[in-house]
Formats: sequence, structure tokens, C-alpha cells
Amino acid sequence: MTFDTSRRTLVQIVDRSPQVKPKPTNLLQGTLDLLILKALATGALHGLGVSRRIEQITRGTFVVKPGSLFPALHRMEEAGWLESFWGDSENNRRAKFYALTKAGKNQLEVESEQWETIALAMTNALKAT
Amino acid sequence: MKLWSRTRSALRNLLWKNRAESELESELRAYVDLVADEKIANGTSRAEARRTALAEFGGMEQVKQTVRDQRAGTRFDIIARDIRYALRQLLRNPGFTVTVVATLALSIGANTAIFSIVNALAIKNLPYPHPERMGTVFERVTGPDPNDERRWIDGTEWEQLRDNVPSLISAITGGVSGGVNLEAGPHVQYTLGGRVSAHYFDVLGLHPALGRSFNEEEDLPGGPKAVVLSYNLWKTIFSADRNLIGQTIHLKREPYSVIGVLPQGAITPLNADLYTALQPSRSGEGTGTNYEVIVRLRDGANWQQADGELKRAWAARAKQIESRDPGTKVEYYLMPFQKGVTSVLRPRAYALMLASGFILLIACANLAGLTLVRMVRRTPEVATRLALGASRWQVQRQLWIENLLLAGIGGLAGVAVGFAALRALLSLLPKDYLPVDSVPLDLPVLAFTFVLSTLTSILFGMLPTLTVRKVDLRSSIASRALAGGAHVGLRQALIAGEVALTVVLLAGAGLLVRSLIHLETLPPGFNANGVMTAKASLDDARYRDPAAFRHLIENSVAAMQQIPGVKSAAVGLTLPFERALNGGVMLHDGPQSGKWVGADMVYATPGYFETLQMPLIAGRTFTAADGPNTQAVAVINLSFAHKFFPGMNPVGLTVDKGLLVVGVVSDVQLSSGMNRVAPLQSEETLYFPAAQMNAQSLSVHVWFQPSWIVRTAAPVDGLTELMQRALAGIDPALPFSGFYRMSDLEAETLATQRIQVALLGTMAGLALLLSAIGIFALVANMVAQRTREIGIRMALGSTIRQAMIQIAAVGLRASVVGLVTGLALSAAALRVMRSLLYGVGVYDATTIAVVVAMLLLIITAATMLPTLRIASIDPATTLRDE
Repeated sequence: MTFDTSRRTLVQIVDRSPQVKPKPTNLLQGTLDLLILKALATGALHGLGVSRRIEQITRGTFVVKPGSLFPALHRMEEAGWLESFWGDSENNRRAKFYALTKAGKNQLEVESEQWETIALAMTNALKAT
Repeated sequence: MKLWSRTRSALRNLLWKNRAESELESELRAYVDLVADEKIANGTSRAEARRTALAEFGGMEQVKQTVRDQRAGTRFDIIARDIRYALRQLLRNPGFTVTVVATLALSIGANTAIFSIVNALAIKNLPYPHPERMGTVFERVTGPDPNDERRWIDGTEWEQLRDNVPSLISAITGGVSGGVNLEAGPHVQYTLGGRVSAHYFDVLGLHPALGRSFNEEEDLPGGPKAVVLSYNLWKTIFSADRNLIGQTIHLKREPYSVIGVLPQGAITPLNADLYTALQPSRSGEGTGTNYEVIVRLRDGANWQQADGELKRAWAARAKQIESRDPGTKVEYYLMPFQKGVTSVLRPRAYALMLASGFILLIACANLAGLTLVRMVRRTPEVATRLALGASRWQVQRQLWIENLLLAGIGGLAGVAVGFAALRALLSLLPKDYLPVDSVPLDLPVLAFTFVLSTLTSILFGMLPTLTVRKVDLRSSIASRALAGGAHVGLRQALIAGEVALTVVLLAGAGLLVRSLIHLETLPPGFNANGVMTAKASLDDARYRDPAAFRHLIENSVAAMQQIPGVKSAAVGLTLPFERALNGGVMLHDGPQSGKWVGADMVYATPGYFETLQMPLIAGRTFTAADGPNTQAVAVINLSFAHKFFPGMNPVGLTVDKGLLVVGVVSDVQLSSGMNRVAPLQSEETLYFPAAQMNAQSLSVHVWFQPSWIVRTAAPVDGLTELMQRALAGIDPALPFSGFYRMSDLEAETLATQRIQVALLGTMAGLALLLSAIGIFALVANMVAQRTREIGIRMALGSTIRQAMIQIAAVGLRASVVGLVTGLALSAAALRVMRSLLYGVGVYDATTIAVVVAMLLLIITAATMLPTLRIASIDPATTLRDE
């Protein structure tokens, strides 16, 4: 496995590695998944919509590039968390929309809880003297 | 849910690849357009917006590939590509592929087939419920004349066993099935009858499908005559008549009531058409050890209990034998039935299993050598691929797939060969040779040989790749000659091992062949050519009277002599090659006078010796004048004369008070019953005139069916019908069992030996072939690897001869080491075979010489053939090639 950290964000790097199996405990991979799930929690969005929504809810901390976004969307769809359909965008462009399935909603809950546990633990760990 | 969803996606991706592709294309295009739209909305120009949107996207094709790699089913694509590549690789090297597949197929297939038969010989699965609770009685004699074998018992022992061993359900039989004449409508049929005691079917765990089995009253001497039919007989003769139970049928010209029919497919050790009650007693046949025992442990009892009871029940008998033969100790014990009935076959089975194991080892050594070398030779290719950017995992995956594919093809071929070989081997076996109905391919053995052979080929195929990390790219690509040099030693060791095992197998097969030749070339003591034989059952109410018996045989023989082309005809109780009646006489003359000695007993009509062309050594043979009211006479054979009348002229001496010896004939080969040391041997024999048999001695017809024999000068058309007609002229209700040529009887007697030779011979041939392949491959590989070196040497003045010898020496050295090791190994291993050999010792100079000569020939051929390629090496081309 080669890490090429020069150009890509952390999220992208992880997604470049097909050998790493998607596991809910995988912190880095889980981050992108969780963000996508959260982004779609309020309703169906197309690819750019997901990207913009993540930017918005993380207040610009994460900018998800297409190279990470689309593989993740396709993987999550195949995992049964998302479903897709073709629809028209706000400015009448035909685009592929993604929405949470029932399994996706469950996954969001599970991952949110896990993340909170980890985040709390990490925060405490870093604050410890 | 997740699995289903992924499977569905995988299918969709694989089946509608183009659609998935175009959807992906539109989706990504839409994204770019949407980004461009945003930019336009923010005031950028249309062209600029589109350009920056595309640039920010960061490579359409890369994104697509990342998505594709994410897709379910991508792996299948990659694997399919690898498999195609592997197949191409295998096809490019047809010699290697065919050799490995053939080796796998033979080692898996042939071994499994042979093992399946050996397993059947050892009757792994008796066709009875709870076979582990069935047993038989063994007698272990220690002392001057040690012995440990299945015990046949007499009437007294039977009563003690039946009444004093409560832990067992015990049963006895008359041992073998005998011919029984069954009247069915207008015809009389020759059937096989088994005589069994009351609880026989209980011991076997068989319940009649109709009616019942024998009760104790029917098993008492003089009890009601009853018969149990086999399903097949009931169906074919009595058209499956359900009302037959309770009715009377005629057997042996006596009425028997049918009490039961066995279930379809029921098998008994006697394998008879019908069963009558044995009615054992202490008198008659019960005075001798003529009953065969079979027992079943009662519920709740165990073997220790039963053993103890048996020892107490027969304590008096053991004491009796011990006091008769001082220094002897006799012990009776129970043996599990399966082990008991196969005790004779076991050494044969072990020898074959050992051979089978050897073949497997040889095959594995070969596979190891072949695959090892192939992979070592591919090191440069691997290095090139690594240099071109393939990951180690990709290279290894490719090699794994290639090896698995090869092993898989070989394994499948092995299964196919296994089925074919088993069928071929079974067709070689004589009918009823195996104690079971059918022999399935032994699945556990198949699995074992399959796994072992394929694992070997995969393991050795992968060995070099597992060390692929160490490959130094530059040197591997540059110097092809270096590759694999270090493995020659290992390969030589493998070859030496193969050759050693081959020597053992060849020597073993050689010894069996020598035994068979010995048995087949034993002087038979008579002329088997041109003699036709047929048996008839005289265990018949009408022929218990000696006068009726005399009338039948004298007139039927006379009638057969009238057949045109017949030189002579006769009747005898048993024939050469058959087992004879074991009897005993009190010697009256000679050094052992007054002693009771065992001898085979055969009654014969006057033409018996002439028809068989047994040479008369002294005195005369029987004549028509030897009748019931004249002097009782006997003809003895040479063995009898030498043993009991050494240095005397036996003619005129008497045995058994009043029995006058009138002649001496040569020995004939018999299938022995008394002192079984070989499948064919001669024994002390007494011949009596058939006309002098009394009513008591005619009871022997319960066990033996006499044979009518006819000698013709040339083949006679329709001889068998003419013989049947001649007999029918005297008694129309007496059927013959069937007709056999005397020469076929010998073949039947030696069937076991012939099969052993066939099986072990096949295996030895297989071993030889595998070894030759191994040696050939080793040397051929050396030639290929060192072509450049040889070229240089030749350019520097070496001759072709020198180069050939130098390369061949590698194979020769390994083979000769193997040959010597093999000879040493044979000395130890072949002792297993001692009990299978006749007329030849374990250390037989001829066999060893032939084996060594044969191997040297094969070794030389296998090493020299590939070196012939050296002659075609052109130094100039070779040097320029680099």
C-alpha cells in the first residue's frame, strides 16, 4: 500500500485502498460514510448536493472531492444503505439522486453512537494530563 | 440484506456492464454540469466554468476506475482474467501440463480404485445390523505346533456353546452351501442349499420377509423338515407366491414345508438359494469338527463376559487336547466376525495397501520435482512482471490460480480414472470373488489421495513464489542460467527416493509373478486337456441306498462312454484342483502301524484314473470286478506311499484292517483342506472303488457333489447336451449343476494369485513409469538450463559425448543411489509378503537380477534420451542468443 499524501485529503486516501474492507470500526472510512449518511438524513440529494451539504454541516472543514465521493456512494448503495434514482435538479439537469434506505437509517444511528463514544474517548484522552 | 444487496449488484455489474458504465458516465457528467452551473450562476463565463469544473473534478477516468474498483463483482473479473492467463500458460507448456495432470490422475485414480477393492476384500462393512456385535470362535494353540485360527467345532462343543454361554446367541452351519435338487413343477433344479442351526438368522439379524425362521424343534435330529427360501428363488421358481408359506415342496426327493422367505437382497455368509435346518448332533457329522460357528452378543452382554463363559464351557476340551499333546496350551476366544472371516485375506490386503502407499509417495515426489522446477524456471518472468509494476500479491495470486487450476484439472481427471480403473479391475475379478455385492469407489480414500496429491503439487509449485521477496530483479532478469541451480540436489533426492520405492514394488511384484509361475507349472499329475466335468447332487433320498447309487453311476458312465468321440468316462467324488474330503484311516502295515492318520478320501469308478490320465506307478487301478461283495480295495497316491510305507512296496499291504492296497498312482495338485500351506499342493490320498461305498459313507454327499468326467480326443459338438441326455436316460430327474472344462478349474483355483499379480504388477508398472518420468524430467531440465554453459564448453573444445555424460551423470547418480537404497529397503519390506509366496523365497536372486536389469534399462533410457538434445546445440547460436 502506498500513501501519497501530497495532493489528496485524508478521506480520499483511505478510499484509494481497495484491500481495506469496509468495517464500521474503521475510523477514517467511517467518517466519510457517516458524513454521507448524515447529509442524506434530511432527504434525497444528488452527488454535488451531498458534497455541498457535507461542506455546509461541517462548516467547510471537509470538502469531499468526486474521487472520494462517487466510489463511496456506489459502495454504500451496493451495501444497501442508499438507494438511487434519476431525477431533475433544481436547475432542471438530469442527475442521479441518492436517498437513505431503512438499513441506511439504522446504519446512521449505529455509526453516530459509535462516533460519539469514540469522540468522547478521544477528547478525554487528549485532555488528560 | 447486505449480502443479498451486494450479490444483486455483483450480478447486475457483471451482466449489464455496459449499462452500468453509461450510467456512471452520465452521473459524473451531470456532476460536472452542476458544478459548472454553480460557477455560471456566480458570474463565470460558460466556457471558463466548464473548464474549471472539469479541472477540479480531477480526472474523469481515474474517478471512474476508482468507482469500478469499488463495485461488487470486480474480483470475478480479475480472477477470470487470471484464469484465462493461467490456461494460456498451461497450454504453452503442454509437456509439463500433461505430465502433471497424468501423474495426478494416475496417483489419485489408480490408488483409489485399488484401495477400494482392498477395502472390500477386508469387508469394511458387513451387510448386517450391528456387525460389531457379531463374532466367531478362534483357537490359539501354543507349544510345539503353534496355531491360531478359526475353530470349527463338533457336536459336543456345539451343545456346550449353545447351552453354557448365555451371553451369546450362537449358531452353526454346515460350512459351505451344497448342491440340492429342487423339484419345481415338471423340472428338477440344481440349487445351492445352506444348512443352518435354529438361531442362524437371529445371529445375522435377518428377519424373514414372509413366515418365520427355524424353531428349535425343527433343528433337532429327526425333526420336521422345513425350508427357508431366498427371495430370488421364491421369485424365479415360485413366481413370488405369497401362499407358499406352509405348503410342501420337494427337496432331495423328500417333502419339506416352506416356513419362510428371506427379504430381498438379504445376504448370508453361505449365500445359498435355500436353507434347511442343520439338525446338529453328537453323532454322524457331529463326531468331527464339521460345524462353523457364528455368534452375536446378546443385548447387555459384553465380549469379556462371553469370552469367560466360552473358556469355562470348553475347558474340558482344551484339557483333552493339552493332555494328548504334552507341552501344548489351548485357548479359545471370540474374534469379531469381520476380523475373523478376513484373517486369511489380511496379509494380502496389507501388501497391496503398502504398495498403494508407495505409489502415492512416488507420485508426490514426482509432482514436487516437476512443479518445483517449473516455478524456478519462471523466476525471470516473475521478476519481469515485478519490474513492470505488478504488486507481489498480483504475481502470487496469478501463480496460485495457475497451480490450483492444474491441481484441479489433475484431480478431476483422477476421479474419472478412479471410476474407470475400479470398473476395469472389477471386471478382472472372477464372479463371487469378493465377499460383497458391489464395490463403490471409497470416498474417504478418494478425498485423502486427492488432497495429498493436489496439496503436494500446489505446495511445491508455490514454494519458490513464497520466497519471491528475495528475488533480485536485475540479476534474475539478466542471468537465466542461474535460476534453479540450488534445487538440483533436492530433485536428485526426490528421484532417488522414487527409484528406491519402485525397486521395492518391482521386487514384490516379481516375487508374486514367480509364485504364480511356480503354481502354474507344478506338475499337475494328470492331463487336464480335453476333459469335461459336471456335478450332480446325490444328497437325495433315492441315492442313500448303495445299490441305487451303484446303478446310477455304472449305467450313466456306460451311457456316456457310448457318446461318439468320447474316449473314456468316469465318476469321482472330487477332482484334482478341488478340495478333497479329509478323512482318516488306521494304518495296519508299515512303520506307523496302529496309528490313526489323516488322508484325503476319494471314491472313483474304474475309468477315473484313465480318464484323467493319472500315471499308475505300481499295481493296478480299479476294475468292474471290484464290487460290493468282493475284497475291499484301495489305490493310494505317491505321497501316501512315501509317508506311511517308506521304502516298501505298498501293493498288497493293508490299511484300516482288511482294506487292501492294490495300486499306487501319481500325486495330483489339490486345493487343500487339511494342511493348507499353498493354494495348490498334493496330499496323502486314498482312492476307493465307488461300488464299495456303504450307506454310511454315502452321507458324504451332504458336503460333496460327485463329478462326472468325460475325456474326448477332439472337441465334440454338443458334448454337454449329450452328457446330460446320457444321465437323463438313467434318471430323468437328476440335473447337472453346470459343465466345466478341467483346465478352467485350475484357473479358478489360482484366481486369487492371478489377481494379486495383476494388481501388484499394475502398481509396479505405474511406479516404473512415474520414476522414468521423474528422471527424464530432471535430466531434460538440466539440459534446458545449461544449454548456454554447454555451448560455451563446446566452443572451448568439449565434445558432445563429454557434455552428454556430464549432464546424464546427474540423473544416473540419483537413480543408482535409489536403486541401491531400494534393494536394502526390499530386504526389510518384502518380509510382509512371506505368507503370499510359494516355491520362491523372499530373497530370490532371479527376481532381484531381473528387477535390477529392468531398472537399469529404464534409468539409462530416461537419462540418455533427453541428453540427445545436446547433439543439436550449436555453440554459435547459443552464445549469440544471450
